[in-house]
Amino acid sequence: MDALSVSHVSKTYRQKKKGAVPLQALDDVSLTVKPGEIHGLLGPNGAGKSTLISLIAGIIRADQGKIEVFGVDVEKETEKAKVLEGIVPQEGVYEMAFTVREVLYYFSGMYGVPIAERNPRIDKALEDLALSDKADERARGLSGGMKRRLMIAKALIHKPKLLILDEPTAGVDVALRQKIWELVRRLRDEGTTILFTTHYLEEAEQLCDRITLINHGRIIKEGNLKEIQKEFSKNVISFELFDRNVPHLPNVTPEGSEFHYPMKELEADMQAIASHYNGNLKSVRSEAASLEQIFLTLTKD
Amino acid sequence: MQNLTPVFALVAREVKRFQKIWLDTVVSPIMSMILFLAVFGVVSGGRDVAGIPYLAFVYMGLLTMTMVNASFSNPAFALVIAKNVGTFMDLQITPVPPWGVGLAYAFAASIRGIITLLIALLATVWFIPISGVANPLLLIVSVVLIGVAFGMLGVIFGMYAKNFEALTFVMTFIIQPMIFLAGTFYSIKQLPGIWPTVSLFNPMHHAVNLVRYSVTGYADSAPMVSLAVMAVFAVAIFIPMQWITTRNLKAS
Ligand SMILES: Nc1ncnc2c1ncn2[C@@H]1O[C@H](COP(=O)(O)OP(=O)(O)OP(=O)(O)O)[C@@H](O)[C@H]1O
Ligand SMILES: [Mg+2]
Repeated sequence: MDALSVSHVSKTYRQKKKGAVPLQALDDVSLTVKPGEIHGLLGPNGAGKSTLISLIAGIIRADQGKIEVFGVDVEKETEKAKVLEGIVPQEGVYEMAFTVREVLYYFSGMYGVPIAERNPRIDKALEDLALSDKADERARGLSGGMKRRLMIAKALIHKPKLLILDEPTAGVDVALRQKIWELVRRLRDEGTTILFTTHYLEEAEQLCDRITLINHGRIIKEGNLKEIQKEFSKNVISFELFDRNVPHLPNVTPEGSEFHYPMKELEADMQAIASHYNGNLKSVRSEAASLEQIFLTLTKD
Repeated sequence: MQNLTPVFALVAREVKRFQKIWLDTVVSPIMSMILFLAVFGVVSGGRDVAGIPYLAFVYMGLLTMTMVNASFSNPAFALVIAKNVGTFMDLQITPVPPWGVGLAYAFAASIRGIITLLIALLATVWFIPISGVANPLLLIVSVVLIGVAFGMLGVIFGMYAKNFEALTFVMTFIIQPMIFLAGTFYSIKQLPGIWPTVSLFNPMHHAVNLVRYSVTGYADSAPMVSLAVMAVFAVAIFIPMQWITTRNLKAS
């Protein structure tokens, strides 16, 4: 069973202003997230990422299509599905009067966590997110990064099976970003499935098992990150030699100061080149496409 | 059996919220009670209405008004604030069902209403010519019913309103007229023409009538009718509350 299955979902926002064209934010979107994976949802501003997350979270209604979380239909069994999900929204949510502990106490209760279990869980979450010393401070008075951590703690407090983070590292300093990555990886290792969005592509490269690229409300690519990278790589190994006049491997062609060799399987081919030219090899490289290049290629209008 | 923990947690959260603003809960209702009483005390000059001292008569109206105001505005303002600061989303992503959200806010509202009532009572009852409570059981039932019913009304307007202007509008043009045309400060029997009959359709009249009867033993209209009206009002208002809450929690 998939952790998340979105099939043929469309969403058009009705516009308030009369005469304005209704805005189709999602157009026949399908994607699956497998249990135990970290899945990156990537796309430019306005692509429809947050809209998709709102639909999965059950905050807005889809025009058509079906969304299931671990087999539970979000539309038909909303409450049951919501318990399985933990949501970190893109926009900050600030409790006016409550302390950090109070925020987590009532929020976990609203997820059905029994009273006796709340405080131990809160202590654990605060420790995980390095907020223990802020427990009794007003949530409103926290710094931006701390508020972000509180939002993550809120999403984790009921131990969701699917954790959804909408730009968890936006506006977060380097150290905290590393911490969040660590936490995400650890949660994955403990069995939590993770779907997150980010505009930092190197972050997606670091973390994701699979990614989905979305643009103008349509899925333009979904799959294993490594495979996508392979698909977009220039399928060639370039190398330089000290002595150019030697017997070459078949299919090697000169290209300026370099030679090119058509690549089938990176490691085996590298090995073949290394053993053939041996000490004559000055340098060798293969250009794997960066996610950034792939992203730009695919989202070019 | 559905797990009710989420609903109770929300009630507890909303009760905690107004506990944080103790001063609001305590001071402003007492202030307005005292001001009203001072004015009416001077104006009435010891007259009677329907056989009971006017001050005692109007006092029951004021207490009910104070309570209804608190029950109504607590959820209404809490929800509008939540929409404006973003915490409304907490209600949307957690598995509290729409009926649970509505009722949780309404129960918290009734608790605030009752606390406000008690505080206002303790602060002022010493100056009022009242000897005891005629029907304590009916008083308790009525007060809970009134708190929940007007709490639900507050939920409806809190869900409906996007900003404070809309709420202020509702307070000024719906709640205040309801209070003033309810027999809060006078007996509806003193009204001319069809107005006594019109008043019977005002839930606020029955709220005041119930509280006044429970304490003083005097009623403008039949207390059991008022009890029935309040009960029907509470049940009936659940339907629009459920409707608007469902729509607000999940936008289409
Ligand atoms: N509540 C709304 N009402 C009307 N239009 C909306 C609403 N929310 C989003 N949109 C529109 O839907 C489109 C998709 O928005 P969405 O927030 O899903 O994008 P996103 O991929 O999350 O972008 P970003 O990376 O900037 O967060 C945008 O054109 C946006 O203007
Ligand atoms: Mg977004």
